[in-house]
This record gives sequence, structure tokens and C-alpha cells, in this order.
Amino acid sequence: MLYCAWHMVRRRIAALLAVVCAALGGAAMVTGIGVLADSGWRSHAPVERLDRADVVVSASQSHQPPKPFLPSISLPERVQVPAELADRLARLPGVADTVSDRSFPAAVVTDSGDAAPAADASVNGHGWSSTGLLAAHDVRGSAPAGPREVALDQGTAAAASAEPGDRVTVVAAGRTGTYRVSAVLQVPGSGVYFTDAAAARLAAPGTAAGTQDASGEDSPASADLVAVRAEPGEADRAADEVRQAVADDDLNVTTGAARGDAESPGTTAARSLLPTLASSLTGVTLLVVGFIVAGALSVAVQSQRRELALMRAVGATPRQIRRIVTLQAVLTSAAAAVPGAALGYLLAERFRDLLVWTGMLPSGLPLTYGPLPAVAGVVFLVGVVSVAAWCVAWRTSRMPATEAVAESRSEPRKPSPVRARIGLGLIIGGTALSIGPLLIRSQVGAVGTALAGILAAIGLALVGPVLVGRVGRALSRRLSGSTPAPTWLAVANSHGYAQRAAGAASTLAMAVVFTLTYTLTQTTVVAATSGEVRDATRAQFGVSAPGLGGVPENLADDLRDRPGVEAAAPVTTTTALWPFRVLNETEVESAPAMVLDHEARGVLDLDVRDGNLADLKGRTVAVSADAAKSRDVHVGSTAEFYLGDGAPVSARVVATYGRGLGFGELVLSRDLAVSHTTTGLDQQLYVTTDGSEAAEREVTELVASHPGLALDDDPGAAEKGGVGGVPPELWINIAVLAVLLAYLLVGIANKLVATTAARRTELATLQLVGATPHQVRAMMRREAALLTVAAFVGGLALSVIPLVLLSAGFLGRPVPSGPAWLLPALAAVVAAIAFLSTELPTRRALRTPPTQALTRT
Amino acid sequence: MRYAWDAAAGVAQSRPQAPAVVLQGVTKTYPGDVQALRGVSLTVQRGTFLAVMGPSGSGKSTLMHCAAGLDTPTTGHVFVDGTEIGTLSETARTELRRDSVGFVFQSYNLVPSLSIEDNITLPLRLAGRTPDREWVRGLVERVGIGERLSHRPAELSGGQQQRVAIARALAARPAVVFADEPTGALDLRTGREVLALLRDMVDTLGQTVVMVTHDPAAAARADLATVMADGRVVDTFVQATAAELAAGVTKLETE
Repeated sequence: MLYCAWHMVRRRIAALLAVVCAALGGAAMVTGIGVLADSGWRSHAPVERLDRADVVVSASQSHQPPKPFLPSISLPERVQVPAELADRLARLPGVADTVSDRSFPAAVVTDSGDAAPAADASVNGHGWSSTGLLAAHDVRGSAPAGPREVALDQGTAAAASAEPGDRVTVVAAGRTGTYRVSAVLQVPGSGVYFTDAAAARLAAPGTAAGTQDASGEDSPASADLVAVRAEPGEADRAADEVRQAVADDDLNVTTGAARGDAESPGTTAARSLLPTLASSLTGVTLLVVGFIVAGALSVAVQSQRRELALMRAVGATPRQIRRIVTLQAVLTSAAAAVPGAALGYLLAERFRDLLVWTGMLPSGLPLTYGPLPAVAGVVFLVGVVSVAAWCVAWRTSRMPATEAVAESRSEPRKPSPVRARIGLGLIIGGTALSIGPLLIRSQVGAVGTALAGILAAIGLALVGPVLVGRVGRALSRRLSGSTPAPTWLAVANSHGYAQRAAGAASTLAMAVVFTLTYTLTQTTVVAATSGEVRDATRAQFGVSAPGLGGVPENLADDLRDRPGVEAAAPVTTTTALWPFRVLNETEVESAPAMVLDHEARGVLDLDVRDGNLADLKGRTVAVSADAAKSRDVHVGSTAEFYLGDGAPVSARVVATYGRGLGFGELVLSRDLAVSHTTTGLDQQLYVTTDGSEAAEREVTELVASHPGLALDDDPGAAEKGGVGGVPPELWINIAVLAVLLAYLLVGIANKLVATTAARRTELATLQLVGATPHQVRAMMRREAALLTVAAFVGGLALSVIPLVLLSAGFLGRPVPSGPAWLLPALAAVVAAIAFLSTELPTRRALRTPPTQALTRT
Repeated sequence: MRYAWDAAAGVAQSRPQAPAVVLQGVTKTYPGDVQALRGVSLTVQRGTFLAVMGPSGSGKSTLMHCAAGLDTPTTGHVFVDGTEIGTLSETARTELRRDSVGFVFQSYNLVPSLSIEDNITLPLRLAGRTPDREWVRGLVERVGIGERLSHRPAELSGGQQQRVAIARALAARPAVVFADEPTGALDLRTGREVLALLRDMVDTLGQTVVMVTHDPAAAARADLATVMADGRVVDTFVQATAAELAAGVTKLETE
């Protein structure tokens, strides 16, 4: 059996080329997604500062939803551990010493008035004792010996041209001060090291927010993490002891590479994006891969019908036929899937680059390259191929042997009406789904549009043969006797070979539908979102502090004091988890949330419907009008949710606002949220002036006079990241669409080429009957033209209703927002594929004399 | 109706009376130095039924391909309906074939997507000629498929398909019809009917037919039978019986 299959593979390598390409690309994509998912579970941020810690104890950076089995949600803001933990752990057997580590924003000001470059300014300040965790290093100078002394790494020291004994200006936790440099450390990475007492005071939550913490200097309430150093040779024992000691607390004990997670919770939280991304890509990818692989296989089997029929005639059982076909397909696809899987790792790496470029993933997080994704990719592909091959071979294998020989020479079977009815149902059902954006004006609602497109495309594939047959017959009735023979033949072929024609047209139409619905959904939602943000932004300026890790305190007051400045208010983005009940089940999702204060009215117009943003003080929130309706809250009632560090809060609702698309469901009071962020500082200040040039000059001067600040003179602009800007997901979605589309188009081209090549007998017959090569080519071109029109019109027709509904819901007009060149470009691509992939194989087929083509079948 | 059709047949016969096919010293060598034809000269007069016989590999198919203008000879000359084909381009040869040559194949080779009627008129459409409705109607009646014109080839039996193929070959009123093992895929009775049909075309329409076959019984229906071996014409029989032809071919194979 294997012998037969192998020899047929060797003879039919051209027909199987489409299967090879489909399997190769499919395996690459599935493996790539697998690598992303795998990395999401297993990769760790690199261990830098905690190099010499044997065990790291940190708070759990995840929120477990109330239901078991649901994946926990990563928390991006640092969760603190009790500071007394360090003393408790230090007494355990096998433990040499422990360090309570805490990080806070700190930057050294250079001579030129800039902030010295740091890996991450928001966690650049540390206590001196944490230098004991760094890899072995030289120290020039001595430990800082008082609240006004610091030690610097040599990179920062060089940037500030500071030597031990010099004085430098340091902005730590938003406060500027002059410090004496006590030591310079020869270490990789950057850091500003204060005495432990000073560090504890600077890092204490709420300090920077101005609400002075009452706890004493020497007994800080909490730390970021506790690093444990074991007695020599006792690392394993120490780890076990620590685990036992904290077993009852909600703490994470990590060793080895996993310590990186404890070191940078932001990176770890970003990592949880990977499985989410992978799962959202999986569906559509598997669908497209399945579609293309099955299509390629059906062409390959079709081209072997005669051979298979002959094998039936000489005594092969239907089972054997199916096994031959399946084995063939599995051999081919397995051979292609292995290099495909290897390609998948490269694909994943490119994808990571894209994620890093858009800022969705910190550059520090590497991907994990385990063998599992490749194995999964190959197994999946081979699985899909076997099932598809089995289905494709089913009919051929079940025919009586004699009929098998006969049918292989004549017209393919009649389209099934049941199939057409199911297809029609799918199209109607899919189109009904596209009402989503009218009901829910959010990203979730827009999913309906994309889903509608996919369902309708599958429906079209099912209804295709009947549809193409009818249209073809209607067309042929309109042709007169004087119609040129090639046109007449092309039309006849379109309904005579309805299945073949529809197969090509519906796959191309699917590409059209995908492109239109996916791209235009993205661009329309983005246009609506950025439109809201633009309309809402009253401020002319945005001030951020990339070099300092957060906007220094008092800067807002300084700005307000300048003449011409009407308002200045902090704008920060954090994360909130707001549970909601769906059908008696509680669901929790993490979503970005804005942090504003009572001054926000002056810089942003959220279109307040009820209540007043001026009340945004203390434990209060504002919610979007949509969310208020769906979650049944109103001004004066209480919203219960979790903050970015997992802390549960209940806050009074003081306002509802209309611009929920641009600003999310929840706006938190700064008083409520800021002590639950890692830095405790504001990310940006929005500044509204009277619009005069003098005011602009004042703001510019003030910003220039402070180190480490950046001025944005159009904070409402859509093309910037940050608050309400173009979501980086847009780039991701477009990149994914591009890859999928490329695969889809290559798959379609392959299938078309294989289909055309398999028509050599048919073309030879025409030649013998008297068609010149020119006439044959003309016929094929007209078929390609019919195919282009059918695919484009079909795809367009299926996309129109979902896109009109989407635009009506989001933009209040029937036309979606998107690049004007999309439609003509798409038409050109469809036409190019249709023409090239019929023209080239036709030319090739015509090179064989017709008599030889016939005898070679 | 019958009258009109016979009148049309008369037009078909009123062409200049050059021989339908003439081969002069034709050789054909395929790549790899395979000599399929080693100098064949042959004249097919109008209105005659010639059978070309020979064992497999004797060159009879190559002879037909060259004589029909499907292939060009390596050396020598081929005239179809008075036109030398060796110097023509592929397109020009196709156009000559379309006007002057009809084909009937062992495997019928009807176009599956076209109805029977469209299959029959296909050569005329390809030539850009308007089908002569009466001629076509007469043809389909004569071959006995008049009621099945709107069917697809797949809905017909093998014998019926071959009758359609014969009607198609005659639709353009060619100077010569080549039939390549026309009964090869048919049972004995259906095969006889098809042969009778070809014979009838020769007798009543004066159609020239060249038939390649290795069946002596089929060849016996022809006026002339040429026997080929090893790329050469080795024997020619006139009005021979099936037994004589069988003996002739057997003699060849045992030599």
C-alpha cells in the first residue's frame, strides 16, 4: 500500500505541489502561533538585578477569577509583600541572609540638563542592600551613608560625569534633590542606589502622591519582593524551607529563570498577552489552513481520479483506495510540514519583533523555543490532511469500478441542493450577526462584523456551485450565435463545470471578504475611537516624563501658575478588572482604565451625561454611559472592581460619560488608583492654555527647564500611542491579516494552477476539434475574467451589509472609514491571481502536442 | 427534409478533385532517435474508405497524426486537401484541420460541459462559421441521436457518444475523416453499428475516411487496407475479407 502511494506521489508531484505549499505554510503558521502560546506560559523575563538571589519571594501577580479552571489574569502593577517577611525568612535554616527589595522611579540629571539614560526609569531607584544581589562587581567608593548620598552604576556616572564625592541632581519618586555620590559600581544595567532607609521612604506607596505616609522611616510596611541568599550549597534546602514557611500566604516563591518574573511584573503581565493573542489567531488560522489544505487535496485527488478508478477496476477495495489517497496526502504533507514547522519559529520571532515595535511587548521578554509547538503544528497539519483526504477520497472510492472509469472521463457530479441550502443559511445567519455593532458600540460589537464575514464566506463556498451554475446558464442564454467561440466556451465551462468554477471563485471571494471586513472593521473602529479622543481633547499640550519614570510632583502646580494656562491635569492609564455577570456567571476581564482627577474637566471633555467630573476625588469613579446601562449602575451607586495590583475596591460613581469608545468603561479617581500603581506617579499632564503664543512659550519654557520631560503639542492626535491613540492591535491585526491573506492567495493560486494543469486533456480535445492555441488561451482568459468578476462581486456583496451596519453603528454613516485604494488594489490582486494562475499553466499545457496530451492521461 | 439533406451532400462532393490526402516519403523521428515512420508514401483518393492496420508500435498512429496535420513529418511531404502542411504554423495547421479534417477517437473526446448539439457544432463555431442548420439536423438524424441533442455527453452510452463524435467530425464537411480505433472502446454490436455508420457516410455522402485499427473485422469494412510494420507500409489489401486481413497481420507478427 505504502509502495503504491509513494509511486503515485512521485508521478503526481506537480498536482501535489499545491498540497505541499498548503502544508508548509499551514505548519509554519500553526507552529508560529504555538510558539507564541508556549512563550506566554513558559518564557521568563531575564534575571538582571536578582542574579545572586537563590530564592525570590514576591506577591502573586495574578488575579484568579471566581470560577475555577479559568486562566488567571496577570496584574501589571506591582503587588507588595509585607516587609517583616524578610526577617522571618532570614531565620530559616539554610538561609544566609535576606534583602527586602523595593524599586522606585529615579533618574540622575546630566550636565546638559537631561535625564541620564536608564533601562527603565520607573524602577531605576533601589536600596543599597540590593546591590548584594547583583552579579559580582567592583565598587569604587563606599556605601551611601545618609539620606543625601547615592551610589551610581558606572554608565549613569559617566553620563553625569560624576565621580565618588561629586554632587549630582537626582529626581527620585518625583522629587528633585541634590545628592553626594558615595560610590560608583562596575555593573551592567543602570541603577541609583540609596540607603535602605531612604529607599524605603521613597518607595513607600502614596509618598509621591503627596499623601505623606505616616509609617516610620525604619519600619517600612511593605517591599516589592524579598530576595533570599542561601548558605553555600544549601540553595535547594533554603528554597524548600521558604516554600514551607510561606505556604499559607498568597506568595510566589521562584528560583532559577523564573526569578525574572518576580523582578519585572510589567513584563510578565505583558507576557500574558501572548496566549490571548495566540488564541484569538488560532480560530481564523485553522479555518484558513483547513480550507486551503482541503482545496489543494481535492484538486490533487481529482487529477488522480482515473488512476484511482483503474485501481478499483483491477481489484482495489474502496478502503484500499481511501488508504492510498490518505497515505499519499500524509506522506506529502508530513514531508512539507517539517520544514514548515521550522519556518514557524522564524515567523514567531518576526511577530515578536512586531509586538515589541508596537510596544505591546517589552523588548526584554524572549520567546521560548520548545519542541512542542513544532510537534503540535505537524500533528495538526497531518491530522487535517488525513481527514480532508479521507473525505475527498470518499466518493471516488465508493463508486462501482466501471462507473469509476466512466466518470473519470466526463462531467463532474451535479451540485447538491442540500449543500446549497446550508450555505444559504450560513450567509443569512452570518449577515444577521453583523447587526452587532448597532447594539454594542465597542470592540466586542465589532467582532460581529468580522465573524459575519467569515461565516458568509463559508456559506458562499457551499452555495457556490449552484449559484455559479445558475448564473452561467443565465449568461449562456444571453449569448447569441455570433458570440466568439472562446467566450461561448468559457461561459459553457462556467456552468458545465460549476463545481470547479465555484471552487475557485468562492475561495477568491473568501479572500475578498476577509480583506474587506477585517481591514475596514479595524480602520472604522479606530476612526471612531480616535474621532472621540480628538473631539474630547481640550488640552493643547501633553507633558510626559519618559526619562524620569513619571511626572514630577508639583509640576502640575507650576504649570497652572504660568500665565495663560487655564488647566493642567494628570492623565494616566492603568488596568482595572471589573467583574460583570452574564447569565448568572461572573466574568472578569482586565481592561485599560484612565486615571483622572477632579481637574480633568479642564483638559478632557468626556461628554458627561450625568453627575460631575469635579467630584472625582477620594474613592470615586466615572463610568461610561454604555457600561452604566449594561452593569446597572448610576451616579450615586457603588461600583465594585479590582485595581491593577489586584486590590479589591468599591467606589462611588460620580459621573457617567458618553465617550466610552475612546476612554473605556471606567475612569478612576487619581486618589483611588495612584497608590496602586508601580510608580505612584502620573504618566502625563494635559495642559489647556488660552491658546495664545505667549502661553505656548510659557509651557515650552517650563518643560525645557525641567530635566527628562517631553512635550507633545497635539495630545488628541490619533496616530500617537498612549491614551486613546491608535491601538497597537491595529498593526498586529493588519500584520496577521497580511500573513493569512498571503497564505490564502498562494493557496488559491496553487489550486488554480493545479486545476488548470489538470485540464490538459480537455484543452487537447478542443485543439483536436479545431481550436487554435490562440483560441484556447482566449477561452481561458475569458474564464479568468469571469472568475475575477464572480469572486470580486461575490465578496463585495457579502461584505456590504456587515460593513454598512458597522459604519452606521460606529460612525453614524453608511460608508466605512478606510484607505480608498483598498478596493481597487484588491480588485487588481484578485485579477492578477486569476489571470496569472490560468495563463501560465495554459501556455505550458499548450506546449505539449494535443495528441500526446491525450495519450498521456 | 431528406431531400434537402441529400442536396447539401451534393455540395460536399463538388470540391476540386485533388486526392484527399497525399504522403510522399514521410519519415518521423522522435527525440531519442526513435524512428516511428521510415519513408511512407500513400495517396488517399476522395470517397474511399482506407483502413490502416498493424501491430502496436508499427507506426500507424504516427502515420495518422502526420496525415491529419496533427504532427509534422521530419522529412517528406504531406498534402491535405491539396495543401502542403509541412510549412504551416501550428495555427495555420489548426485552421486547415478545422476546415478539411474530421476526427473520431477511441475515447470519443466530447467536451463534457457542452450539450450534444453544441459539441457537434463546436468545430464550426471555432472556425467562426454559422452552422448550417439543415446539414446538422440531417447528420444527427442519420447517426440516430436526434432526440438527445440537449443532453450532456455523460448522459449517453459509449456507442451514442461515438455517434455524436462522428456527427461532429462531419459537421464542417471535411475532405477527410480520420478515425482512431473508433470501435476500440465499444462492445461488438455497438462497434458494428459504428462501422456501418462510417461505411454509410462513405457510400451515400462520398466521404473520405481513414481508419486506424488493429481489428481485422473492422478493417474488412474498408475499401482498402494498408498493413504497417516497423514504420513502413508492408502490404495493401483491396476489398479483403476479415479472414484474409487477419492472416496477413498474423503472418507479419510471426515473421
